[in-house]
Amino acid sequence: MKRFEVPCIGDAMATLETRDLYLGYARRMVVNGLNLHIPQGQVTVIVGPNGCGKSTLLAGLARLNKPRSGAVLLNGQPIGSLPTRDVARLLALLPQDASAPEGITVNELIRFGRQPHQGLMRQWSSKDQLIVENALHAADLVELADCALESMSGGQRQRAWIAMAIAQDTPLLLLDEPTSALDLGHQIEVFELVRQLTNAGKTVVMVLHDLFSACRYADHLVAMKAGRIVIEGAPDTVVTSALIEELYGVSCVLLKCPQTGTPVITAIQPLPHKQQKQQGQTEFVAEEFQC
Amino acid sequence: MLLLACACLVSLTFGGSRPIPVKDALLVLAGQGDAVSRLLINTLRMPRILAAVLTGAALGAALGAAGCLMQTLARNRLATPGIVGLDNGATAFAVASILATSTSLLPSMLALSGAATAAVLTFALASGSGSRGYRFIVTGIGVGAMFSALTNLMLSQAPIDAANRAYPWTVGSLNGTSVVAIRALAAGLFFGLPWACLLGRQLAAMGFSERVSISLGVRLGALRMTTLAATVWLTALGVAVAGPVGLVALIAPEIARYLARQGGVPVLNSAWSGALLMVVADWAGRNILSPIEVPVGIVMAIIGGPYLIWIVLRQPDRRVQ
Repeated sequence: MKRFEVPCIGDAMATLETRDLYLGYARRMVVNGLNLHIPQGQVTVIVGPNGCGKSTLLAGLARLNKPRSGAVLLNGQPIGSLPTRDVARLLALLPQDASAPEGITVNELIRFGRQPHQGLMRQWSSKDQLIVENALHAADLVELADCALESMSGGQRQRAWIAMAIAQDTPLLLLDEPTSALDLGHQIEVFELVRQLTNAGKTVVMVLHDLFSACRYADHLVAMKAGRIVIEGAPDTVVTSALIEELYGVSCVLLKCPQTGTPVITAIQPLPHKQQKQQGQTEFVAEEFQC
Repeated sequence: MLLLACACLVSLTFGGSRPIPVKDALLVLAGQGDAVSRLLINTLRMPRILAAVLTGAALGAALGAAGCLMQTLARNRLATPGIVGLDNGATAFAVASILATSTSLLPSMLALSGAATAAVLTFALASGSGSRGYRFIVTGIGVGAMFSALTNLMLSQAPIDAANRAYPWTVGSLNGTSVVAIRALAAGLFFGLPWACLLGRQLAAMGFSERVSISLGVRLGALRMTTLAATVWLTALGVAVAGPVGLVALIAPEIARYLARQGGVPVLNSAWSGALLMVVADWAGRNILSPIEVPVGIVMAIIGGPYLIWIVLRQPDRRVQ
């Protein structure tokens, strides 16, 4: 296993929580009255079926969606009321649909991570350079630094994006399915990198589809359905076959990895009736908050 | 810069009915040379050429920078002031003023407000520049078409003399520019160009998808509004002086990008390329078919169109958005 040198220069702390948070799009409420406290210095993973509002929640946590009501509190203050540049020094988001300016190289991409720390008065410094180099090392991209982002493989590209978020040097990192396009080897590399970041004191929130990775790498697992939290806590206490049935409408067998003790979920077959009933509930909840 | 100097020299040498050898022209510039050449160059050609070159350069710089800003704003290389209707708006207003009043300064002022009107209309109707700029461009083309139709309607209804006076405004020309308008252009550029360069630095993060740029702490709404304002300012200045020569706003950033070969928003390079292009096009228009003077807007289209296609075809590996 590769050892990663994790840059840990910024020592800013940040807490992130939601108070009775409602998020939605034009006529549809997606997140319904959510109270969530992100534990500091840990990996929080949000899981749930498609459309359960987990990506919307992550975007809300990163001030990309304005709350319909309730609040996202960053260091105790509503995130929308803080200057966006100040927020960018505390919180970095890697969205799923990240796209970069054409022709950009890896090094240039990572340098953009320093943008929130730049200004008219505050020019590029040796500290910025050090952080960028650390991020290159951490994501194992030193040899690829001058390659065009477009010419790289999906895994390398994803590592470059994560390196940019690392270079932003924020105490909070939000990653939306950071491994969705990666093969097993690259997935593990990304997760190890995430673990190193939390070991260095950073707080990470990830949305993941893959339940095994979620159980394996989460300190704190949040299971969502229809815009609400079903249950949250340490993966081995939270994950039960009943939970999987409720979330995904499938019957399953729960195993334990003999080496790590991580819960392993093996889906057996869908439960059609239950699924339909639950979808009905979802629609009811959604209609309740139409405006 | 060197190219610009060469262009000036060539103009000095050939820019009239009696060619002067390059050696003599250089001698005159150094303060020597024979009397005839000195008279021709210092009193006849120099002021005229300087005026033309300075106007052309300022105009090209303004439009080049404006094109670069708007392309970045809309995240689309098609989105230049000319294409999204700013030029047409300015033309319509200017033509209206000429047909109605026929004073010399007013068309420029009205061209400015025409460009602003078109920009505000487009931006409001498209409700922002959107994520990929299609909406913005399509709306802009619509707005531009309406203004262009308005211009044609006015020209077809106007008496022939007035229509002739208004003609330069519809093709883009440096021939009938007033001194006041040129001074206004220079003054406006003095503020506008540094402003555009400053914006260019901030706009570098606009190449990312919206969520990434917000995450990087970019104040998208404010940045978009100021960029649009700067674009309108620069475009309107240019169009107010010379009418629609909008193609330069499309070509100059392409040249700048081709020369730069790396990331960043090449505002200053676009301004340089625009200046050079405009001077060359103006010179070509005045001299190639001499004594007929072809309006610079037409020359720009003749040489600019194929050149643009050549540039885009030369870089098949780069995404053309």
